[in-house]
Amino acid sequence: MNVVAIIIMVGSGLRIFNAYPAFARKGEMFCCYPFEHKPIPAWLTFGGWLGGARHWHFAMMWVLVVNGLIYLAFVYLHGEWRDLVPRKGDIRDSWQMAKFYAFKRKDHPHQGKHNALQKTAYFLMPVFGLLLVLTGIAIWKPVQLAWLTALFGGYVWARYWHFVAMVVIVVLSVVHVFMVFAVDPYSLPSMFTGNYDEKLSPEARNARPFYHLFPPRARPAPPPEVT
Amino acid sequence: MSIDRRKIVTLGGIDRREFLTWSGGLVSAAFLAACDSRGPKAADRLLNYAERKNRGLERALFRHTSMDKVQRGAYDAGNKLPSYFVSDTVPAWDESARGKWALEVSGLVANPVRLSLEDLQRLPRVSNRVNHYCVEGWTAVETWTGVPFTELAKLVRVAPDAHYVDFQSFDDDYHESWDIESAMHAQTVVAYGLDGKMLEPAHGAPARVYSPVKLGYKNTKYLTKIVFMPEMNGGYWSDQGYEWYGGV
Repeated sequence: MNVVAIIIMVGSGLRIFNAYPAFARKGEMFCCYPFEHKPIPAWLTFGGWLGGARHWHFAMMWVLVVNGLIYLAFVYLHGEWRDLVPRKGDIRDSWQMAKFYAFKRKDHPHQGKHNALQKTAYFLMPVFGLLLVLTGIAIWKPVQLAWLTALFGGYVWARYWHFVAMVVIVVLSVVHVFMVFAVDPYSLPSMFTGNYDEKLSPEARNARPFYHLFPPRARPAPPPEVT
Repeated sequence: MSIDRRKIVTLGGIDRREFLTWSGGLVSAAFLAACDSRGPKAADRLLNYAERKNRGLERALFRHTSMDKVQRGAYDAGNKLPSYFVSDTVPAWDESARGKWALEVSGLVANPVRLSLEDLQRLPRVSNRVNHYCVEGWTAVETWTGVPFTELAKLVRVAPDAHYVDFQSFDDDYHESWDIESAMHAQTVVAYGLDGKMLEPAHGAPARVYSPVKLGYKNTKYLTKIVFMPEMNGGYWSDQGYEWYGGV
């Protein structure tokens, strides 16, 4: 459901953006967007026309806000936020993880429930999700909630941060889905059931992207078992 | 009726390849459905429901004390302010054919009036340098000069059961109806001046309603009538599917 809601939200948002595919206030220039006045390709958009896209956007936002709140409540009540909050050394560990994925490091860095890159990504997701919601409210009600709009630097900038946060979420989601299929397709059923077989975890398999498609001999040897 | 038990076992264990095929197919189907389509027709009722609920929330959020403020350092749009109308050519009041232009203020009021442009100019005047919020996503800073709507309301003595206001024009059948709260907002004016000059036909001459608390399309140009009503009356764009409330 979230996948569909996010796709609709991004598509309708891009359709709304296409009505004025720029950020500049009329009579001004905008510094920080290289594609001012270049519309997004229509096949990436949803809603058909500006009014339709706005209806979808303003309806679907509630689905995502409610789901987001349920997720946050769940993560908080189950204490799973402890697996996600950034800790000292996470940046170093993320770098090691990136090196492993880039075949620059032989063995899979040791990890807890999530590896350091995952932790960073799963922490950033809700942060940018919250930013999306707040900047969205800021450009929805720039007069009635002017203080919120001002917090993001005014309407033009709030609209810009709304766009940037969307791009970040899309990139994180695409990488996330790519890695699920490339590194750990064994985890797919657990997305629905919640169960997970540790023996098939990427660390146990020393898995890199598309590891499961390599012929067995070409696979890098797993590190010796540490007892 | 018999149930194939083997099938159930297979599904329970989820064969990975099968699962990937299915989930990939579902995601691509969602993408295909999403490609610049208006979405399923069946969703219309749900979308309308969401619009009504959002309208309730937006009206509850409305405060007369929330003012639009132009950001420090923002430039005026000047001649970059787009000009919109629905007629084929710029609507202009033809005095020889229609007589002298006058604005009728009527409906649920004790004292309906017809005001010429000179009458409007004799009423109390304000100049507001405010943002224009277009439904398309752009904003423009302009200074609008005119009669505060509250002054007009005082003049005609609005009845207590007038909850909506319709702004009608001579730009074909263009009109938009508003909730009375938004009309009574301190920054709502019946404007006849723009950036220190008299309003030009491109921007709604002789007079138009202007308020930063409503999106551009709610601000009817080329005004002929302001009618106080017990019920809402849709509008040119609202009837075509843009939100009726259109408030910012």
